[in-house]
Amino acid sequence: MSTSKENVMTDNNEVLRAANICKSFGVTKACKDISFSLSKGEIHGLIGENGSGKSTFASMLCGVYRKDSGTFYLDENEYEAHTQVEANEKGVSIIVQELGTLNGLTVAQNIFLGKEDEFTKYGILSQKKLNDTVNKILNRYGFDFINAATMIDNYDYETRKLVEIVKATHFDPKIVVVDETTTALSQDGRDILYKQIKKIKEEGNTVVFISHDLEEVLEMTDRISVFRDGVYVDTVISSESSEDDLKLLMVGREIDKKYYRTDYGESINEEVVLKTRDLSVKDKIFNIDLEVCKGEILGIGGLSDCGMHDLAKALFGAAYDASGEVFIANGNKINSIPEAIKNNIAYTSKDRDNESVILNSSIKDNICLLSLEHLRNRIVVSKRKENEFAKKFSEQMSVKMQNVNQFVSGLSGGNKQKVVLARWLGKDSDILILDSPTRGIDIKVKADIYSLMDELRKRGKTIIMISEEILELIGMCDRILILKNGKISREFLRNEELAEHDLIHAMI
Amino acid sequence: MEKSLKISEGNNSSQKMQVFQRLLPYIGIVVVVLLFGILTDFRSLTFRNIRLIIEQSCVLFICATGVFFIMTMGGLDFSQGSIIGVASIAVAYFAQYNFLLAVISGMFVGLFIGAINGILHVKFKIGSFIVTICTMFIFRGVCAFLTTAKPMSAPIFMYSFNKWYYLISAAVLVLVLGAFFFSMTSFGRKLKAIGAGETAARFSGVKVAKIKFLVFMLAGILTGFAATINTIRVGSITASSGTLLETNIMISLVLGGMPVSGGAKNRFSSVLVGVLLFAILNNGLVMLQINPNVQQLIRGLVFLVIVVANTDRDAVLIIK
Repeated sequence: MSTSKENVMTDNNEVLRAANICKSFGVTKACKDISFSLSKGEIHGLIGENGSGKSTFASMLCGVYRKDSGTFYLDENEYEAHTQVEANEKGVSIIVQELGTLNGLTVAQNIFLGKEDEFTKYGILSQKKLNDTVNKILNRYGFDFINAATMIDNYDYETRKLVEIVKATHFDPKIVVVDETTTALSQDGRDILYKQIKKIKEEGNTVVFISHDLEEVLEMTDRISVFRDGVYVDTVISSESSEDDLKLLMVGREIDKKYYRTDYGESINEEVVLKTRDLSVKDKIFNIDLEVCKGEILGIGGLSDCGMHDLAKALFGAAYDASGEVFIANGNKINSIPEAIKNNIAYTSKDRDNESVILNSSIKDNICLLSLEHLRNRIVVSKRKENEFAKKFSEQMSVKMQNVNQFVSGLSGGNKQKVVLARWLGKDSDILILDSPTRGIDIKVKADIYSLMDELRKRGKTIIMISEEILELIGMCDRILILKNGKISREFLRNEELAEHDLIHAMI
Repeated sequence: MEKSLKISEGNNSSQKMQVFQRLLPYIGIVVVVLLFGILTDFRSLTFRNIRLIIEQSCVLFICATGVFFIMTMGGLDFSQGSIIGVASIAVAYFAQYNFLLAVISGMFVGLFIGAINGILHVKFKIGSFIVTICTMFIFRGVCAFLTTAKPMSAPIFMYSFNKWYYLISAAVLVLVLGAFFFSMTSFGRKLKAIGAGETAARFSGVKVAKIKFLVFMLAGILTGFAATINTIRVGSITASSGTLLETNIMISLVLGGMPVSGGAKNRFSSVLVGVLLFAILNNGLVMLQINPNVQQLIRGLVFLVIVVANTDRDAVLIIK
C-alpha cells in the first residue's frame, strides 16, 4: 500500500480538486475539511463506513447539496453547481443510490429532465423529436428493450437503474459519480454498469465509484480514497492494496476477519414455532409450506424478484392480497401485523426508511412505540419509563447518538438499523424476520448484527433471515431455502462445504 | 479538542433556534397583549374584556382540539364549519323538547359527518383534504336548505345558559381531556407516529385505518358538542352559521406553532396558545375600531409573519 498524497498535489493530469470542503446538517458535521484530487481517465473508488461523508461529498459535487465552505476546482477553474442540471452542463453527473427516476414521466422525459430546451421550438416541446433522440441513444447503449416513449413506471427497478445510467452518461460528462448503484443491481445489471464505467474511462473521463463492496471496489478502480467520520483519510493505489488495508483505513483499527458464525454440526431443536400452509401472495409467491424450528436461523435466498421479500411480509401478516395460513406454535393464526406483534413476531424491512423506522421522530419514540403497553401505569404512559427503556435498548445496541431525543432521520444507515433492532429487542420478540438486515451497512455494524443474531439464536430465539447476499446466508444460517419464481426450489442445511455456486445454481 | 468545541457551538446555535421557535407563540401573545394594551389605554386588559375574549373562544377551543388530533396525523379537516352549522340546527330544534337531547343530537350530527369523512378517507382512500372539502359543500348545502324559510331559532330558555362560567367550564373540560389523552396516553403517541410516518407506523402494529376513522369521528363529536355553545351564544341559526370556522381553527393551530404536516413535533399547547393568540388579535382589532376589511388584511399579515418565523426550513426539503 503506498500513499499518493504527495504526487496528487503535483499531478497535472487532475480533473477535479476539492479544497477544504465542509458541510453540516444541523448539528451533524457530514464533511470536515475534505481535500483531495481526481485524475483524468481514472476510476476512483470512494469508500468509508456509513456516515463517513462519502455520499454527502458526492452530492455536493453534483449539485444536490450546497457546500458550506471550501472550493472545487474543475480543470483548474473554480466550480460550483447549484442544481443537478447545472452540474451536468459543467460536465459532472451522478447515478444515485436510491431510485433516481421520476414516476409519471416517460423514459425520454426522465433522461432529458431539465434539459428539454433543445427539443423546444416556440415554447412547444416536440415529444417526437425527444423520443427519437432518446431511442437513438438507447440503441447506442444496446438497451433496445427500453422504449423512450414508455412511462418509466412500467419498468422494473433494474431497468430504471439502466435508464439512470443512460441519463448520467449519454452527454459525455467529465466526471460521473456512481453512488452505491451496484447493490440494487443483479449480476447482469452490474456487468452492464461495469462496461459503461470502463468505457467512460477509455474516453479519458473520470468515474467516482462509491461502494460498500470492497472486493468490487478493488477490482474496478485505479485509486481509492477513504473517508472516516467526515474526514478524508488517505488515497491508495488499488493494485497495491488489499481488502484488509482498506478496512484498516476505514475503521482505524483491525477488524476480526471472522464475523460469521464458526460453529458447524449443531443439531436443530425439533420444536416447530412457525408454520405456513399454502401461503400465497397474488402474483408473487405460490403455495409455500414451510416450518421453522425454535432456535434456528433459517435463511431465505433467491434472486431479488423471486418473492422472498413478499414471503417475509406475508409471514408478518403485512402482505396485501395474501392467502393461505401462517400458524405459530400454540396454533394461533397470523392474519395482521398487530396479531403478529402480539404473538411476539418481529419484522425488519428491506425498505428501512419507510417501513422499519419512523424517520421524522425521535429514537425514543421509535423504540417505545412497540412497547407502549409495558410502559404505562393503567392508561398513563410514564415518561420516566419511556426514557429508561429507550436508553437501555439503544445503549444495548450501542447506537451512535447524542441522546434518545435525537431524530432518526439524522442517523446513518447502520445506526438506523441498530434502532430498528433495538425496538424489537425491547419487545423481546421470539421470532425475528429480518429482511436484508445488513443491506447498505458497513462492516463494523454488520459484524455487530451477526454477533447479535448468534446470541439471540443461543438464547432460543428463532430468526428468519431474508438476504440477497449469498455469503451471509451460508455464513449465518442453519438452513437455507432458495426461492425461485415464488416457489421453494431447494433446501440446504448448514455445512462447511456449502459453496456460493450451489446456491446460485438453485436460484436460476 | 478544537473540533469538539466547534461541534458543540453548532449544537448551540441550532438549539437556540429551536428554543426560539418553541417560544415564538408565547412571545406572540405577549407582544399582541402589550401592543393592544398600549393602543387602547389598557382598556383591553380589563377583567371584563379578558373574560369576553375567553368566552368568545370557547367554540374555537373545542373544535380546535379535534382538528389538532386530525392534523397530528397529517390530515386536514375543512368540514368543521359545516358540521357546526348543521349540528347547531339540530341543537336548536331538539332544544324545544329537552336540553340534554339537544346536546346529544348535536354531538350525534358531528359523529355522523365525522364518520362520513372517516369512511371516505380510510375505506375509499381519498385524501382528507379533498374529502372534507366535499363534505363541507354538502353540509353547507344541507344547512342552507334547512334554514331557507327562516332561521332556526333556539327556545328562549337556552339563553339562560349563556353564562361565562358554563361556557368556560365546558371548554376547559374538553381541553383538559384533550391534553391528557394526547400527552399522557399511548393514543397520542400513536397519532404522532402516524403523522411522522404512516407506513412505518403500520409496520409497528399501529392500527392506522381504525385510528384515523376514530379520530375523524372524535373531531366531529367535539364540534357537535361545540354546536350547543354556539347555539346558546347565537340564539338563531342561519345558513351562514359557522362559516370560516375551519379556516379560523387552522389559523389558530398554526399560530400556536403547529407544523401543518403533523408528526412528532406537535404539542397540545398549540391549541391553547394558538386560539388565545387568534382571539386576542381579533378582539384588539375590533376594540381599535379598525375597518373590518383592513382587519382581514392585518390578520393575514400577522399570520404570514408567524408562519415564516415558525417554519423549520432545514427540516423541509420539498414543499407541496
